Amino acid sequence: MVTNRIDHKWGMVVDLDKCTGCQACVVACQAENNLPINTKDFFLQKRAYEWIRIERYWEGEYPNVKARFIPVLCQHCENAPCEPVCPVYATYRNDDGLNVQIYNRCVGTRYCINNCPYQVRFFNFWQPNWPERLKNQLNPDVTIRTRGITEKCTFCVQRLRRAELQVERVSGERLNDEKLKAGNYAPACTQACPTNALMFGDQNDAESKIRPYFDDVNTFDIHHEEERTTRGYRLLEEINTRPSIIYLKKVDQYPLNEDEDHV
Amino acid sequence: MKFTRRNFLAWAGISAVGAVGCDVFGSEGQELRLQSPVMQPEDLVKGRDNWYATLCRQCPTSEGVLVRVMEGRAKKVQGNPMYPVNWGKQSARCDAGLQALYHPERLAGPMRRTGARGSGEFAPTTWQQGLDTLSAQLGERGNGLLLVTEPIRAHQALISSRFANAFGGRHLGFEALDQTTYRAAVKDVYGQDLLPDFDLAHANFLLSFGADFLSTWVSPTRWSVGYGDFRQGEGRTQRGTHVQVEPRFSMTAASADKWVPIKPGIEGYLALSLAHVIISENLQAVSTDVNALTGGQGAAALANFSPDQVGPMLELPAAMLKGHSPADWIRELARDFAGHTPALAIGGDSAAAHSNGLFNLEAIYALNYLVGSVGEVGGVRFNPGSPIADLPAASTVGTMADWTSVAGDIREGRTRLLMVHSADPVYGLPASVGFGDALNRDDLFIVSFSPFMNETTAMADLILPDRIYLEDWGSDIPEPAPGYQVLGIQQPVVNPLSDLDPRSFVDVLLSTAQELDRDGDLPWGSLQQALRETSDALFALNRGSVEATSAGEFWNSLLRQGGWWDERETGPSASAPNGLYNQIANRAAQPIFSGEGMYLMPFSHNTLLDGRNTHLPWAQAAPDPITTITWQSWVEINQRQMEEMGFREGDIVQVRSSQGSITAPVYPNPAMRPDVVGVPLGQGRRHGPEYAIVGDDRESSNVLSILASSQVEGTGALAWASNRVQVSSTGESIRIVKFEGEFTSREIGNQIDNNPSEEIIKTTSPGASH
Repeated sequence: MVTNRIDHKWGMVVDLDKCTGCQACVVACQAENNLPINTKDFFLQKRAYEWIRIERYWEGEYPNVKARFIPVLCQHCENAPCEPVCPVYATYRNDDGLNVQIYNRCVGTRYCINNCPYQVRFFNFWQPNWPERLKNQLNPDVTIRTRGITEKCTFCVQRLRRAELQVERVSGERLNDEKLKAGNYAPACTQACPTNALMFGDQNDAESKIRPYFDDVNTFDIHHEEERTTRGYRLLEEINTRPSIIYLKKVDQYPLNEDEDHV
Repeated sequence: MKFTRRNFLAWAGISAVGAVGCDVFGSEGQELRLQSPVMQPEDLVKGRDNWYATLCRQCPTSEGVLVRVMEGRAKKVQGNPMYPVNWGKQSARCDAGLQALYHPERLAGPMRRTGARGSGEFAPTTWQQGLDTLSAQLGERGNGLLLVTEPIRAHQALISSRFANAFGGRHLGFEALDQTTYRAAVKDVYGQDLLPDFDLAHANFLLSFGADFLSTWVSPTRWSVGYGDFRQGEGRTQRGTHVQVEPRFSMTAASADKWVPIKPGIEGYLALSLAHVIISENLQAVSTDVNALTGGQGAAALANFSPDQVGPMLELPAAMLKGHSPADWIRELARDFAGHTPALAIGGDSAAAHSNGLFNLEAIYALNYLVGSVGEVGGVRFNPGSPIADLPAASTVGTMADWTSVAGDIREGRTRLLMVHSADPVYGLPASVGFGDALNRDDLFIVSFSPFMNETTAMADLILPDRIYLEDWGSDIPEPAPGYQVLGIQQPVVNPLSDLDPRSFVDVLLSTAQELDRDGDLPWGSLQQALRETSDALFALNRGSVEATSAGEFWNSLLRQGGWWDERETGPSASAPNGLYNQIANRAAQPIFSGEGMYLMPFSHNTLLDGRNTHLPWAQAAPDPITTITWQSWVEINQRQMEEMGFREGDIVQVRSSQGSITAPVYPNPAMRPDVVGVPLGQGRRHGPEYAIVGDDRESSNVLSILASSQVEGTGALAWASNRVQVSSTGESIRIVKFEGEFTSREIGNQIDNNPSEEIIKTTSPGASH
């Protein structure tokens, strides 16, 4: 459709050593992507919509106890378990390396939700509903999903399309880290993250900041994890979904199971 | 041929064989791509957007933001990458500001009270009538005027205080959990009037006492940006170590390398004991003059604070000490702190909110002298004053002592006109102050400028709704500034919707003063005009971030950048007062508590703060980072302690202080001192938009209401952490509204055969990090 397009393969690196669990990414995503308002009932029914969420895990017992945070969003897998189970091909991996959902193909079987090991797909059990005045805030670049279909993180594809238009079709230059940053084009979560725990970039771009982490994790698979030179790992790597998101291990200065002298 | 199931299967088989056969015979295969030929709506770029730089007012920090506007509607708020406070980043609260702008229950226009005071019955009136009433009241009782705002700086502060002065009245800032004690400690220890900046990005050791600085304390987005670099900054050789000392496990404690559950109110003793070790073991920085700091006495000045004496006072859990004595633990911490420079000690929140809060903070901040981080890279940086004379660079906030006397003034008829803007003292002051009751006087006239109904506005006689900050002009001198002069500019990015008729609060003040001929000190027709005048004055300074050849060009660039700053105009340096440690040691005192039982730790909610964002659904629905609870109040108690007390998650408990009681569901927190109860601020409103008043008394309560009005010695601030409470069952139970599942999420990797591949959050040691 678009000739001479530059091949991108978008990806994200999440540094768990920087994440403080502050929820800035969660709210930024909801504001950008027209997510329905998560009412009290949604939480009680365990049906809250959070395309990106912060999971909190406890480790240890008082007083040697730790809480750890991990932002979880669609992993945009290369071997996405959600894709083959869709009877109507509503979800597929596009040329940019994004796992996308075609809302007007989706018939709401929810097989994809069932098959996603990361639980990042959301079904619209109800028609989304906003008070009339709040509708003024809705982002015109993002489709409002109707009742009966599945939705998920898009890596803010609408921002990438705007960025491509501004950068690639005007000057023909590659949309890279620097230009994403200069134009404020990163996905809403990455843009918001106060500690810069989220990094977004192009896996195909040799200059990209995220590239070394992908090279490392791709070179040394889960069976050779100890040979990796970075802190990178993939979520539930053993099931071989090959996500486009790499997590960097949390640095644990005082591990709970150690008995050495420290304060 | 008849089409039967058997035939169908047969044909299907033949087709499959045929397809394989074709390949065998070498016909060129064509790649079939399972990809939609349909352009998706998201693929089409439509419309042009504009981004305007302005300031966010969702929390007292006022971060610089860019607002995306399409066809006259604001769509997204995000950090302004140029603004030197938050460097392009934002908190969850900034995003939620859009919901204030387009809130379904914004007050549409002026209203006057029709029912009894506090009944919440109002009828619409016109601006003409509303302003006439305001003028008449000011003419009649202007000398008994009290103007209450949120903590404000720069133009809003200048105009508000001059307005109050013009009528012989008074302007006072209100904040439920104020920074008065912190400000006093900075003054006593560093001799500075303005709050300092902390260079977290370059620190190697961060020792924080009570300050929830990654979530709500002072300038959380700024600290978070620095914190990211503190952990894994580019070019760093060593990852920073963070020790958080506080009785309640805050979001900041969750990020720390070590959490120290200290007994509440003893923070200052620990800090002095650390100083004792540093001085007696000669661990201080080379540049530090210990003689001057201790009046020539050396460690003897702190003789009462040796680790052996202070250790047992901390009441640290034995399991944390792992067989060491508490004294050894203090020595080890002191060596770690002094041995990893640049090291930084900060303190605030609960450490400041005890009767001895000023002592605690002074002892904490004095540590920075010992490790040589005052005015240095990776340490405390001081801020210069305002670039323009008269423009206040610090906010004036009333203390508990002030509010107690204000309540007295109202009761005795000395204050007869109350004007309230963007503050809610009826909700935020402890009921024991009697502020809300004092307002029930017939000869008192109350004007609220709030765009939303709230507890104070419900008591008003007249409501003149202000514009939301995204529709209005303004300015701010950030506090703390980043170590150099900054003046942020707030500009309207959209017009109010046609069905709303708000007016700018500051413009109303200016026009009213003019009408009543009290505008001697307020020579501006509008706030915009005052800002323009300031812009011209900045242009005349001929320095800073905005380059222009004419005043008009300067103004446009100023608006485009979202402000003006001059990196070369840095703050002063500080030198330690002689005998600082002798003074602090003399101030040492044990905390005094009201009531009996467990220690009550109220805390600012991550998104609702002290309740100012409760009407915003995004703020309500953002899970609390630790408990993941939404839309509700809760009572956090140590998990084991709760089992001993016989409570289960969701049991409604009564928390009774010396002043009253609230009820809320209980949440088992694995990380909590067993003698501490944590309750977040924010809920428990009875007046306000629907989103703000979800839930009944059992699950939505205002913990501020049950605090004793005890004060911090030496500052008069509310000692909000100095209450002890009894927690008892009400026999009722509900389901807690939380994001996490029915079972507490624990990392399972380590528990299943120590299999690391099962881990969700993998960890590594600092030595192995890259």
